[in-house]
Amino acid sequence: MTRARRDLVAGLLWTAPWWLGFLLLTAGPLAATLYLSFCDYSLLQPPVFTGLENYRQLAVDPTFRKVLVNTVVYAALWIPTMTVLAIGLAILLNRPIRGQAFFRAAIFVPTIVPLVAAGVVWMWLLAPESGLVNELLRRVGVASPPLWLESPRWAMIALVMVSLWFVGTPMVIYLAGLQEIPLTLYEAARLDGASSWGQLRHVTLPGLSPIILFNLVVAIINAWQVFALPYVMWRTRPGPDRATFFYTTYLFENAFTNLKMGYASAMGWVQLLIILGLTGLTFWISRRSVHYVSQ
Amino acid sequence: MSLRNLISALVLGLPVLLLLVFGPRGRTEIPAGRTVVVYWEKWTLAEGVAIQRIVNRFNETVGAERGIWVDYTALGDVDKRMLIATAGGDPPDVAGISDRFFPQYAAQSALTPLDALVREFDIDLSGFKPIWLDICRYDDTLFALPSTPFTVALYYNRAHFRAAGLDPDRPPRTTAELNDFAERLTRFDRGDPGDPQDDRIVQLGFTASPSMLGWWHWAWPNFFDGRLWDGRRFALDTDAGRAAYAWMWDYRERVGNRLVLQFEGQQPIIESAQNPFLAGELSMVLQGPWLSAWAARYAPDLDYAVAPFPSVSTQRQHVLASTDFFVIPRNARRPREAMVFLKYMVSQPVLEELNRAHGKVSPFRRPQPAFYEGHVNPFVRVFDEMATSPYAFGSPPMPNWTEAWTETLYMTESIQRGVARPTAALTAAQEKIDVLVAQQERMAARRRTTE
Repeated sequence: MTRARRDLVAGLLWTAPWWLGFLLLTAGPLAATLYLSFCDYSLLQPPVFTGLENYRQLAVDPTFRKVLVNTVVYAALWIPTMTVLAIGLAILLNRPIRGQAFFRAAIFVPTIVPLVAAGVVWMWLLAPESGLVNELLRRVGVASPPLWLESPRWAMIALVMVSLWFVGTPMVIYLAGLQEIPLTLYEAARLDGASSWGQLRHVTLPGLSPIILFNLVVAIINAWQVFALPYVMWRTRPGPDRATFFYTTYLFENAFTNLKMGYASAMGWVQLLIILGLTGLTFWISRRSVHYVSQ
Repeated sequence: MSLRNLISALVLGLPVLLLLVFGPRGRTEIPAGRTVVVYWEKWTLAEGVAIQRIVNRFNETVGAERGIWVDYTALGDVDKRMLIATAGGDPPDVAGISDRFFPQYAAQSALTPLDALVREFDIDLSGFKPIWLDICRYDDTLFALPSTPFTVALYYNRAHFRAAGLDPDRPPRTTAELNDFAERLTRFDRGDPGDPQDDRIVQLGFTASPSMLGWWHWAWPNFFDGRLWDGRRFALDTDAGRAAYAWMWDYRERVGNRLVLQFEGQQPIIESAQNPFLAGELSMVLQGPWLSAWAARYAPDLDYAVAPFPSVSTQRQHVLASTDFFVIPRNARRPREAMVFLKYMVSQPVLEELNRAHGKVSPFRRPQPAFYEGHVNPFVRVFDEMATSPYAFGSPPMPNWTEAWTETLYMTESIQRGVARPTAALTAAQEKIDVLVAQQERMAARRRTTE
């Protein structure tokens, strides 16, 4: 056996737990769902091949359209807000301010609170009469504060607001990215007379661009998989006028409540294609605006 | 390995070894020679203690005679777990499921038909009130036996009645009266006299909101002489449906829907002193017999009474009846041993002991006097008698009930939130459910052809 072959065998053996797990627990079921998406399958009876029936039903299902729109709106509101907020906080907390470690920890700590617990706490905070948020709004003169969780108009905004509670994770990644930008670039910019805004625009953001791209891709995937928070905050119900009923929630409902595994599989594949498409689009758009240090 | 590493490994490994040797055991020691019947249920805490006591007694008596050991396990989401285990070919021998999933599981052949087994094991079902066995049938086949049945009734706060000038011994008898009483019972804090935005409800007469104890969001047309499933069609957009949701809409409009929504949005923990009925913030609710147990625990001084929930007319007393079920999943490995256990469970003394401990009603036509003595619910006879009404109804036995359930929830919430008027909401929901029923029938037909 040549050395290269020995290395290959050793490598495969050492990585066996991962690739065996991937083949058995991910790739296998993934392939199965592709077949099942062309079937009527309830788990309890053998799948019956129905061709494109599930995909045809998706095209005319008003609830599917609703969850698609809701998910797009959520992503459109949450991703830019989260990105701007995370970068802003990272820049602030990258400066040598008093209590820097405390503020970094304070912003990061909510991300280690389990989603379910955070959802329940926010449900109470946003309660229309007894909730702390509306109590504060009343004290500052808002006579009729929003019915956050009960109104179709405010429910989505409430959810985006609560999702921002978890800004700590991307912020920490941006913070690490900021520390990778060579200080010499800032010194050079200052020598050239760049203002703070100029430094942000021409040094910080280009320096952070690979991190922004990474966080954007992760955020797109997360936004399309939003599930736990709305599921908890609206107590497993679809929210006012289904305003907080999302793609993954509907997929879950079809699979495990309505026992429409074929339909849910079709939804899963459409979701995968959407996420792949959006990720590809993000990479394509960013090809000229992402700068790597090696470049 | 150096001595230091060896000592470190021993110190770290010692707790694991001790746990393995002396730690808790996942399973009870099962006497030799017993056939194990695996029983999955949802009950924990006091309810779990009650069923475990009965299971233990079975294991010591009938189980010992017949060589059977029932292994009871309480699980969250037992319906779904049973389904997945059945699909995977390793179901429990007995499971306790709820009525929301029963018709769907029966329609999809997830349950063992029990008619022949009941005859084979000589189980006498003639002592049961008919409604409880009707609910256990799907398509004229018995697929379950009732475990803990209940009816739901109107709880009302007698002190509130007195304060509003109403007779505390004269609860509303029709739905129109209910709205009238509810309006009179509703009290406002008017806040700043010049600013209507500052108003709030401090005591609401009644609400049908699912977030406020109105858990049976689909049931309302039934109180208006409607029945939702005729065997082929889910009939929501009917005279009864329109009357029911107009009744709901009108009341909320008269009280002020924004204020009602504000009141309903307080997200209370229902099984606690925050429960709006127990806290004296809600005067009337549609609830099951367990509310009395919570009242005894969290509001012992509450002056309340229970009456049948009003229907549109006093001529027909519609009663919502529901039960949890004992089922034997399809392909259970020990169905006959499971039947021995179920025969024991559905004997009158045992089932009444269970239901008394759970605060539910007796499923039998003639409950034993001991059933009522010391029952946690002082109004249990009211709940019990309601089950004898010829107008008692259960959830619709339709194959895709879970989908219809979700659509009616969405529709009810749309009406209650003022998003859609009842007529428009009913039409939209009816159209959606018609499509779902047609799809289900088409798929079922295709499946029959394939088979």
